[in-house]
Amino acid sequence: MILMYRLTQEAEKYLEQGTPERKLIELLNNGSIPINEAKNKIDNFSIALGWAKRNGWVIIKNGLLKLVKKPESFEQENALRDIKNNKKVDERLIKILLGRKLIEEVKETVVVKARKQIKKKITKLTPELIKTGLWREIDLKPYNVEVVGKKIHIGKRQPYNQFLSSVRQKLVELGFKEMTGPLIETEFWNFDALYQPQNHSARDWTDTYQLKYPKRGSLPRKKIVERVKAAHENGWTTGSSGWGYKWDPDKAAKLMPRAHGTCLSARCLAHNVEIPGKYFSIARCFRPDIIDATHLLEFNQVEGIVIDPDLTFRDLLGILKMFAIEFADAEKIKFYGDYYPFTEPSVQLSAKHPKLGWIEFGGAGIFREELTKPLGVDVPVIAWGLGIDRLAMFKLGIKDIRYLFAQNLKWLREKEVI
Amino acid sequence: MPTIDVSYKDLCNLIGKKLSAEELENAVLYAKGEIDSIDNDAIKIDIKDTNRPDLWSAEGICREIRGRVTKDVGLPDYSVGKSSVVVNVDKKVSKVRSLTVCAVVKKLKMNENILSQMIQLQEKVSGTFGRNRKEVAIGVYDLNKITPPIKYTTVKPDGIKFVPLEFKDKLTPREILNKHPKGKEFGHLLKDCEEYPIFIDSANNVLSLPPIINSDYTGKVTEKTTDLFIECSGFRLKFLLPALNTIVAALADRGGKLETVKIVYPDTVLNTPDFTPKKTFVDVDYVNKISGLNLNGKKICQLLERARYKTILKGKRIELLYPAYRQDIMHKRDVVEDVIISFGYNKIEPLMPKLPVIGSESELEIFSNKISEVLIGLGLQEIMSYTLTSKKNLFEKMNLKNKRIVEIENPVSMNRGVFRSWVLPSLLEFLSKNKHVDYPQNIFEIGDAVNIDEKRETGTVNERKLAVVLTDNTIGYEEISSHLDALMKNLGIDYKLRATEHGSFIPGRVAKILINNNSIGIIGEINPLVLERWNLEKPVAGFEMSIDMLKVYK
Repeated sequence: MILMYRLTQEAEKYLEQGTPERKLIELLNNGSIPINEAKNKIDNFSIALGWAKRNGWVIIKNGLLKLVKKPESFEQENALRDIKNNKKVDERLIKILLGRKLIEEVKETVVVKARKQIKKKITKLTPELIKTGLWREIDLKPYNVEVVGKKIHIGKRQPYNQFLSSVRQKLVELGFKEMTGPLIETEFWNFDALYQPQNHSARDWTDTYQLKYPKRGSLPRKKIVERVKAAHENGWTTGSSGWGYKWDPDKAAKLMPRAHGTCLSARCLAHNVEIPGKYFSIARCFRPDIIDATHLLEFNQVEGIVIDPDLTFRDLLGILKMFAIEFADAEKIKFYGDYYPFTEPSVQLSAKHPKLGWIEFGGAGIFREELTKPLGVDVPVIAWGLGIDRLAMFKLGIKDIRYLFAQNLKWLREKEVI
Repeated sequence: MPTIDVSYKDLCNLIGKKLSAEELENAVLYAKGEIDSIDNDAIKIDIKDTNRPDLWSAEGICREIRGRVTKDVGLPDYSVGKSSVVVNVDKKVSKVRSLTVCAVVKKLKMNENILSQMIQLQEKVSGTFGRNRKEVAIGVYDLNKITPPIKYTTVKPDGIKFVPLEFKDKLTPREILNKHPKGKEFGHLLKDCEEYPIFIDSANNVLSLPPIINSDYTGKVTEKTTDLFIECSGFRLKFLLPALNTIVAALADRGGKLETVKIVYPDTVLNTPDFTPKKTFVDVDYVNKISGLNLNGKKICQLLERARYKTILKGKRIELLYPAYRQDIMHKRDVVEDVIISFGYNKIEPLMPKLPVIGSESELEIFSNKISEVLIGLGLQEIMSYTLTSKKNLFEKMNLKNKRIVEIENPVSMNRGVFRSWVLPSLLEFLSKNKHVDYPQNIFEIGDAVNIDEKRETGTVNERKLAVVLTDNTIGYEEISSHLDALMKNLGIDYKLRATEHGSFIPGRVAKILINNNSIGIIGEINPLVLERWNLEKPVAGFEMSIDMLKVYK
């Protein structure tokens, strides 16, 4: 059952500005005019002419439009006004107006819903109230606009991962190419190719993980293996004395979770490295530390290499200095001697961070010739590593390193985006 | 990295110059040191070089500093006299601890500093350089209580009795291994030996049971001791000779007079210590090529003299002699580092190399980031977990049969003893730790899993995976498949779902994710059995797929 009618947009416009037929009659009040001229002056001319002719108000003679009967009133306009004001309207006119698409039916349900919503004070503005126009009859209750609504949990990145992404982005901007590689390595790539002797204490099982399964991988191509073996035993052709022991290929084939990202640099050097070249990796590494506020079993190491025939120790210092400024906003820097089995000379950098004070920020060195030559590279290779975890903890506002891998959803949700 | 305890006063005395704290901080850089703490007279210095035992004592540190801040440059003089002490080595030791090298130090004016440095150096050298006494064990004795010649031989575990250091009663070697703290700590080094090595003198007094413990009678050194007998035992001269030289050089720096010991092996004779300087050379051009310092030959010689080398400049080549306690120099690179240390790291102007190269991210990272972006658009929280987990988490709790995965031999904790073969269990573990937090909980992780692949060099394969889970009071297949669909549509990848079976999911509510008929993952509602095992109380729906495979079809 239809209870009500509602004006269409077109009808609302006519009520405001007058129907097209009214405009035509008003134009002809001043005398007849050529039909073409009327067409240009009246919007919706064909609608206006149609109704004016049907009501016998005008005729067309010799291309002229002439008023023959001046209407006393415009009943359709009156009917529209009545409908708008919820007054009863003759069925005949309703039909005409529906035909002209100046009104539309408003179904009962919407009206009932809207009627039900009419109370003195109303909280929610609904589609029904808007459609029926009944919103005119109500008061919308004011809110306490100074109170914030319910908490929304947005989707977002894990903060430490986001930090690592920003480091990656920065390194790419600085011209470094990303290296990737397996989490499980042969000792060959993790140690031997890096000129770390097989009896070195860093290779003890207290310092690195060993695998129960699988135990053994395979060694790379013979040429590389033989050169590495010779470098360890007697220095090969590098001018070094070597470590002076019998190198064991079986030990080198043993598998282990990678203990540092430097194995990626070794692989890179052995496999079509570009010269000049700049490379980096953000590598998940594994060492059997006890987990506490400053140690993790798994950590991410940021490191890489720079290769060019003309590189010297001064360039190495320059690269470290650049990192200190770019990553740690260093105000001051200081270099210390350092030792790695695979670099010589080696250096450590401390940077004065504006908030954290002096932090050990990075280490670097020039790869030993006993390392680079067996891998087929005969130019200086600067190897660098950055200690970013202190920075990550600072950026994330945490004191406990375990929060880098936070398992606390509430904290992740509440942590502001870095 | 060894941390060395020293006395401030003692350090200044050894240097021969009073240094302020700041001056000292800069001076220890010459010994690759960094001051860890200063507490009045007690200083802790971290020595960065784990391959330079000669630096692990006040004497060693000051040797390097003196060369740089005083006029005491060039080779330090270690003249060695000849003692009458002989050590006879029985061939039986070849089976247990084959080698020893020895020295005599006389006329020491022993004091607290000398004694504490000697003990500390002995510990660091046998511990760090000597691989916890495996390669090097060091014994120091009061020479005046010993009746030479000394015999290095073996005894049966119950074949002799003596009072070990710090004990009152006589014990057999077997008892020492069982009862004495040092026996418990180092006894494993004699495991499976039928007889144990022993030093014993002509009066039948035991000197020591290496590498475990000295006797209380001969092996007790006090501030009253003036003359010392020192032995290092092990298996390789490469370790033993530098260890011995390191110890006795420090004592010589304190005024001790060094004398050799004749060691008679069944087939050879050694006279130690041997302080004949070692020889090498370096070219001026090479020093400059590596250092970038552009120094002339004379300047390089000057810097190396300060690092305690003797130098002879011959045109563009520098012939070098360096002290016998240095065992770290194996390549001319090592000499270049000494030039740089003498020059001073912080006096070098850094250069920034300008190389015509362009940076790039790995394609896998770029693709992973795209996926993250879509999932974050769907309102999911990213998480990051450890790749190490347990078989229980991967299989038992997931209602799956065990399969072969990457297992660690020496895990720190049983909960972190294997590499995860898939990522979904990490997300359930996460949910189980956040049951008290607001729901819905919609999370994802993009991370690596490792599986066995015998064909590969590393016997394993890294797989980059995506796992997603949704949990709330009502959540199900429809929601999770909508999420998957939104992801795939946004990546522009055509896929199909095909019903399958999987222990972790509810039967009839699990499907394979297929691309071109290849399965790249699994999606479904988590089996309540699995929820129970994770102690979860709300329904969970999730999927996991291989990003590596997804990338192939992208």
